[in-house]
Amino acid sequence: MNRYFRELSVAGALVLLLALLGIVAPQFFEPQPLLSRLTAQVPTLVLTIGIAMVMITRQIDISVGSQFGLCAVLAGNLLTGGLPLPLALPLAATAGAAMGALNGCLVAWLGLPSIVVTLATMVTWAEVLRLTQQGRFINLPAGVQWLGLSQAAGQTALLAASLALLAAMAWLLKNRSGGRHLYAVGSDAEAARLSGINPKATTFWVFVFMGALAGVAAVCNLVQSPQVDPKCGTGLELKAIAAAVVGGIAVNGGRGSLWGAFVGLLLLATINPALTFLHVEAYWEKAIQGAVILLAVVADGIRSRRNAS
Amino acid sequence: MAHSSRSLKAQLLRHDVLLLLVLALEIAYFLNFARNFGTPDNLSNIVRHSAEIGLLALAMMPVILTGGIDLSVGSLMGLCAVLFGVLTHDLHWASLPAASLTVAAGLVAGAFNASVITLLRLPPLIVTLGTYSLFRGLAEAITQGTKTYRSFEPAFLQLGELRPAGLPLQAWILGVGALGFYVLVHRTTFGRSFRAIGFSPEGARYAGLPVLWRTALPYLLAGGVAAVAALLFTARLRQARADAGTGYELAAITAVVLGGTSIFGGTGTVYGTVAGIAAIAVLNNGIGRIPAVLKAGIGGELASLLTGALLLIALAAPGLSKLLQSVRKQSTLPASANPSPSPTH
Amino acid sequence: MHDVLLKLSGVTKSFGAVRALKGVSFELHPGEVHALLGENGAGKSTLIKVITGAHTPDGGLLEIGGKAVESLTPERARTLGVACIYQQPALFPELSVAENIGLRLEKPGSFKRVDWKARRQNAAALLKRIGAAIDPDAAVKTLSMPEQQLVEIACALGSGARTVIMDEPTASLTRSEQELLFGVVRELRASGAGVIYISHRLEEIFALADRVTVLRDGESIATRPVRDAGGQMQLSEEELIRLMVGRPVAAIYPPREGTPGATVLELEAVGCAASGVNGISLSVRAGEILGLAGLVGAGRTELARILFGLTPADSGKIRLENREVRVDSPRRAVELGIAYVPEDRRRHGVILQMAIAENMTMAVHPRLFPGGVLRFGAERALALEYMESLGVKAYGPEAPGGSLSGGNQQKVALARWLATKPRLLILDEPTQGVDVGAKSEIHRIIRSLAAEGLAVLMISSDLPEILGMSDRIAVLRGGRLVQTLDGAEASADAVMAAALRDQPAQPAFPSL
Repeated sequence: MNRYFRELSVAGALVLLLALLGIVAPQFFEPQPLLSRLTAQVPTLVLTIGIAMVMITRQIDISVGSQFGLCAVLAGNLLTGGLPLPLALPLAATAGAAMGALNGCLVAWLGLPSIVVTLATMVTWAEVLRLTQQGRFINLPAGVQWLGLSQAAGQTALLAASLALLAAMAWLLKNRSGGRHLYAVGSDAEAARLSGINPKATTFWVFVFMGALAGVAAVCNLVQSPQVDPKCGTGLELKAIAAAVVGGIAVNGGRGSLWGAFVGLLLLATINPALTFLHVEAYWEKAIQGAVILLAVVADGIRSRRNAS
Repeated sequence: MAHSSRSLKAQLLRHDVLLLLVLALEIAYFLNFARNFGTPDNLSNIVRHSAEIGLLALAMMPVILTGGIDLSVGSLMGLCAVLFGVLTHDLHWASLPAASLTVAAGLVAGAFNASVITLLRLPPLIVTLGTYSLFRGLAEAITQGTKTYRSFEPAFLQLGELRPAGLPLQAWILGVGALGFYVLVHRTTFGRSFRAIGFSPEGARYAGLPVLWRTALPYLLAGGVAAVAALLFTARLRQARADAGTGYELAAITAVVLGGTSIFGGTGTVYGTVAGIAAIAVLNNGIGRIPAVLKAGIGGELASLLTGALLLIALAAPGLSKLLQSVRKQSTLPASANPSPSPTH
Repeated sequence: MHDVLLKLSGVTKSFGAVRALKGVSFELHPGEVHALLGENGAGKSTLIKVITGAHTPDGGLLEIGGKAVESLTPERARTLGVACIYQQPALFPELSVAENIGLRLEKPGSFKRVDWKARRQNAAALLKRIGAAIDPDAAVKTLSMPEQQLVEIACALGSGARTVIMDEPTASLTRSEQELLFGVVRELRASGAGVIYISHRLEEIFALADRVTVLRDGESIATRPVRDAGGQMQLSEEELIRLMVGRPVAAIYPPREGTPGATVLELEAVGCAASGVNGISLSVRAGEILGLAGLVGAGRTELARILFGLTPADSGKIRLENREVRVDSPRRAVELGIAYVPEDRRRHGVILQMAIAENMTMAVHPRLFPGGVLRFGAERALALEYMESLGVKAYGPEAPGGSLSGGNQQKVALARWLATKPRLLILDEPTQGVDVGAKSEIHRIIRSLAAEGLAVLMISSDLPEILGMSDRIAVLRGGRLVQTLDGAEASADAVMAAALRDQPAQPAFPSL
């Protein structure tokens, strides 16, 4: 029971918040707006899955927002140029994977700290995007939005697909040795090496996969509106990291679960609309996000110091 | 061994030399291809516009020297700018007391970072990522996302205009800052302990150094300096906005790493950081003056892009050269034996 | 004749100037428990590292399972059935016991399916075989050190190793855990595996082992059976001790001079629960060298760390020149005039990347650099002075610590602390890993420091050094002080016997 204390307390907080909303602002639960709000979180969820995996391996990637934006613009332009929709996903994923590979090379093979590497790639990709796109929106062809289905159907499809991805990745992390390697490397890379695991390869592939997921997330976002906003990725890395940290993923690696990160995302995603319903203004969002990250990290820090003594 | 340390020195020197070479090349290039680059007016502009990033880089250097990092300095600039705006506009304070309180607030923010990092032994990366979001968020919340403070006391705005002895005030402030940090890092026991902590926090502890306090100091200073940078920024742009300093943390880190400070801590020089600041400032200014770039209006983006690329190269270079060296040296060393340094006698 | 599991013939291994193994011969038979005995520095851990493939021998022959093995690696050693259980378990703290065992025992591969049920069952079965009451789902970081060790033993059992090496396995186990361990050893022996059992607990060796090999100064001195065919004891404690310490003409140590002065340090029942040190009462006078003897893990370094404020005392009183003091940080220790030259020279004694001068002045900033401003002239002068008086050989005070030999690094570390003009100097293994020439230099220096009135507490695992240098000897065992001897009159046997002596009132082990 104690092993999942962290994740369960976050789930408990979520339940409490939902209960509070149920009493004070029941209109929060109106089906159609709720579905829309949930679907709007799908891209962040996909990013969170990737970021959680990166953090479990004891790394970090703050370039995912830029990767996201670049993939979105790339896919958008290709679609406008006539690319069939089913190809958009693999192409975006490949582009993202390529960007992730750059991160992976620098971190895994050159041993550079991931924070600084991804800080540099974050700005590089963001500026490449700004240079090429110049802030212009891309108008997507008909049939792209909601995958050509009705809004409700499209939203349900997206939600279902992302939850399926979450379940699949969570299962892989738990039940495939490759998944367990992430935990081993994040826990103690040297011990992992002595057990026959290749920490450098593991680290490299985790960044590549993160990039691919950024591409997938970009497409998930792209099909939700008739236009692509080149600034769509701004700040998403922080949202994903916040969700992971709140959900129990340890910055020092080796610990945490995707389901926990998912609950963390739900909690954070509920706080914002809850604030609206409680008549707190939207411009508090970033401050609250930062405060939540700090609270989660400080609480973890206090707990581990108490356990150590 | 005599030559291992001499070659270490040689390496350091090489880095400095390379950087100065890059700087010289930049200047040469822009003198030729950028419009009005070499005019005294433009040169003083370069200094004026780089003062804030320069100050942040100088403050960032000791942080990285101790093996840490502070991602929140840019956001703190925004928060301090907004705070100053509130004090002078909404509360009608005079500029000087408002500025003093702003600097105090910066120090408090720095102290917050410092205490969470040192007392709770949390990774600076995630703590300052949190404050990066928190500080900017507070700035946005206070201004409700949109408000800009515009009219300031003329005396305050003078800060952006003054030219004591012909040089812009920013140059003087930057110079004083550089001198101050040079003394701190290279001429005081504080700087000595920063290096020791960067190389080996345990080793520093065993030597009786006050590791916790000395690790906290750079973050504290960074907070104060961010506030000063915010004041300069506000005076120069004649407005205080929540987005002040956006992206400045990256430029600061780039300047520091470019200047030869190891991202892992322990090695680094203030004059290297100054050279790094110069390289970035010249780049930012010169790029925007190349006619083609000017016409396309992409100066800002290109400059940031090159800054990011420059950081990547600066990061990768030592690692790559070490990789090449070790590949060349693939000798018969057994994987395990305790390596014994060859005696000097 | 049964085949031999493991055979070493004339194995040698040197690290730079230090000859750790000078020609060791050793044999392990199936179904035997073979104890390896020797004082600190005799070469036991080097020997083990050669057997597990962590070190490659310089010379001699290594045979596993009857076949000669060249350039053994840890991975290959494992496949050849060699398993070693170290005192410091190398487990993944965040992962569960079952997963740790699984990762250790399963074949590596990235795409295999993880069968959690099988993992848990396997782990539970192995733990049950040992009789350890450990939950397979518990995270390793929640286990105590002894429990983690039991997990390591489970791994060894599960890997089907035929040569199992146990390095001081009972050091931190409770009595009941020790019983579990003996059961495991019994099982391993019965299954035909061979156990190399390293321990300083003579009672355990007499109870468990079939044969004993004594190492001394990197050589295998003797291999004796513990019992004869009829089950009668063939070996005695005295004989073992004599084999361990007996050595030819002692090295020359600087003569003791002068009479000790006032008491500088007085400890009254000092202890620190977390370090396992308890009720230590001793005193050191000015001009006196108190040698602190004992085996690894006896608590000597732990005591030093207590006195230096790294792990402050939580019981008892510490008196410095008759004033009671609380040492709660290294900084405070330095203020009080306590200096500590640590055991791990490269990690704690010297910062390798910084210059000699910077290292030497690191503990005297307030005095040498008043106001916090560095004075390079004064620093250089201090460095040159100590480099000369201690005989540090380097191209200059700006040479980085990492470029020096072990002996010179030790001198730099020593200089750092001498510069603080301490009242009490604690030396932890001052000549470990130092070549013979530098060793006697350092001994000379220590004796002259004492002659000048310094109170010296010297921790050493080198018996001749303890005997040759100390005015008085305090022997620690299991975190307690067990005996104090006069330096001039003590014999090696007496010190070793005290160091090996178990706690009083311990029941004898039933013979297995």
